[in-house]
Amino acid sequence: MHNSAISIHGLEKYYGDFHALKNITLEVPDKQTLVICGPSGSGKSTLVRCMNGLETYHSGTLKVLGLPIGDDTKVMDQVRKRVGMVFQNFNLFPHLTILENCVLPQIRALGRDRTAATREAREHLQKMQVDIHAEKYPDQLSGGQQQRVALARALALKPEIMLFDEPTSALDPEMISEVLEVMQELARADMTIVCVTHEMGFAKAVADRVILMAEGEIVEEGTPEQMFNNPQHQITRDFMEVVNG
Amino acid sequence: MAIEAQAPPPSATGPAVWLRKHFFATWYDTVFSLVFAVLIYLALKAFIGWAFVDAIWRVENKDLCTHDAGACWAVIESRGRLILFGLYPYEEQWRSTLACLAVIITIALSCLPSFWSIRRLPILWIAGFATFVLLMRGGFAGLELVTSEQWGGLSLTIFIFSAVFVIGMPLAVLFALARRSSLPVIAKSFGFFIDIVRSLPLLALLFAAAVVVPLLVPDWLQGNKLMRVVIAFAIFFAAYQAEIIRAGLQSISQGQEEAVAALGMPYWSLVIDILLPQAFRNTLPSTINQAVITFKETSIVTIIGFFEVMASGNAAIGSGEWGNQYVEVYVFLALIYFVFVFGLSRYGAWLETRMRLGHA
Ligand SMILES: Nc1ncnc2c1ncn2[C@@H]1O[C@H](COP(=O)(O)OP(=O)(O)OP(=O)(O)O)[C@@H](O)[C@H]1O
Ligand SMILES: [Mg+2]
Repeated sequence: MHNSAISIHGLEKYYGDFHALKNITLEVPDKQTLVICGPSGSGKSTLVRCMNGLETYHSGTLKVLGLPIGDDTKVMDQVRKRVGMVFQNFNLFPHLTILENCVLPQIRALGRDRTAATREAREHLQKMQVDIHAEKYPDQLSGGQQQRVALARALALKPEIMLFDEPTSALDPEMISEVLEVMQELARADMTIVCVTHEMGFAKAVADRVILMAEGEIVEEGTPEQMFNNPQHQITRDFMEVVNG
Repeated sequence: MAIEAQAPPPSATGPAVWLRKHFFATWYDTVFSLVFAVLIYLALKAFIGWAFVDAIWRVENKDLCTHDAGACWAVIESRGRLILFGLYPYEEQWRSTLACLAVIITIALSCLPSFWSIRRLPILWIAGFATFVLLMRGGFAGLELVTSEQWGGLSLTIFIFSAVFVIGMPLAVLFALARRSSLPVIAKSFGFFIDIVRSLPLLALLFAAAVVVPLLVPDWLQGNKLMRVVIAFAIFFAAYQAEIIRAGLQSISQGQEEAVAALGMPYWSLVIDILLPQAFRNTLPSTINQAVITFKETSIVTIIGFFEVMASGNAAIGSGEWGNQYVEVYVFLALIYFVFVFGLSRYGAWLETRMRLGHA
């Protein structure tokens, strides 16, 4: 099927002897939003990090935008320019201004000239409502603001897929919603999104599908309604109880 | 009870309050302050008396220089040029002055953040060094040829220091990156090399460069002695500085590298735009420290026959005529070193404040 943004088949991953991902098979259709949840240590980060090659895998197939993820650096360069990622700890460049954080990657990764890159960066900073901080440095911003800058930085490269690894779990509660809101807008604007999160409100609002992982396996998979209202597995029931308080 | 708007309690100011707070807060503060005030007063009085009040300044009054009199600065008037220029021909010393100024200006300019770019710094330094060498060496446009054996004094010291720093710093970056390489062969061999260089005394390295290399290397590759010594010194500097940079690199979180990779930026950009600037920021105090040590260590080249400022100072008092004025000459030398090293330290402090304020 052509309109599959990410397609994974029989993926296996080991850390030494530790079996971190077990026989993962998964399709993420174009323009859909997938939420991955599950208990700590279940392999959620490992799975999304495989999707842009930050982690290697041992066997199985993993294709992103039709490109096989692997050792081929030319292919990986392609993939990383077309797939954006937002991390739990923002990972902004602390020695660069907010604006420069968003300008430099465009120049270095896409070869844009500085004028065009600056225009693009300002536009995205404005969408994320952090443009007034453009001349500041990351440590002068709140966590929520930093995470929105990280989003602007990734979006300025015009990615076709966005990966999120627990984008709100390093944030104070009052800042979570400001980040979730912009992510929801993104999802409604037809971006393909893979998001590891425990924010079930986000999942209910915009997820097309939710998968639950435990001990390196996909335990259950379904629409948000199925997963919340009618979970089939005991692990899912337990997990939903915990995250819904 | 009505609450009246009250003026804040009058904050105590004025010199008396400041003095009490800083020097006489407790009885032992008072004791320390008084004792040190007396000691400082006595020391200052003795020094000012010696260095200024009772000093003899002009060579024509040289006969007055006795043990009972103050400082005999006449020695500086008489021998100052020897100290500053070494064996450089008397008539040509204006060239040495200009050359020295060229390098000092180059150093000063490269301290300005607006010059910190991959393009500007190399151009600046190549221009600075070229000016220095052309002026010092001459041999064109009617300028008398003065070979590097005759170079000396302060300009030689500053030249050696800046050449060691400017050649050593890129080498240090290279060594540090190589030691972190993901290829074990490269990482191990550079690690081994760095550790060997660090375990050798500087003097042994410089001797090897000056004396042993000519025996082993074909003539056309030898360069002159000054060049070999500078390169050996630069490698020594680089071995230490590489470890400082490596520590700086290690203090950067893994997340930075992941962000760069996820954004699709190339490896060279990771190194040049992200890792090195942060590594230098994180290790600025140690880097300034290393520069200060290197400046002071330049005096070691005396031993292999270079007439830098310290050796010139020794020569100035070695002639017998001014043999008793060694204190004055060493005070003068100390002043020269102080100006440079203190300047370096203040510059480092300024950079640190600037970075705390958030600038790159
Ligand atoms: N670099 C590594 N080396 C060895 N083991 C690792 C490494 N990275 C992760 N693991 C292990 O792999 C398992 C899955 O890790 P992963 O980070 O994917 O979990 P996670 O589901 O994202 O958990 P969390 O919710 O805590 O982030 C964990 O048991 C972890 O200890
Ligand atoms: Mg995780």
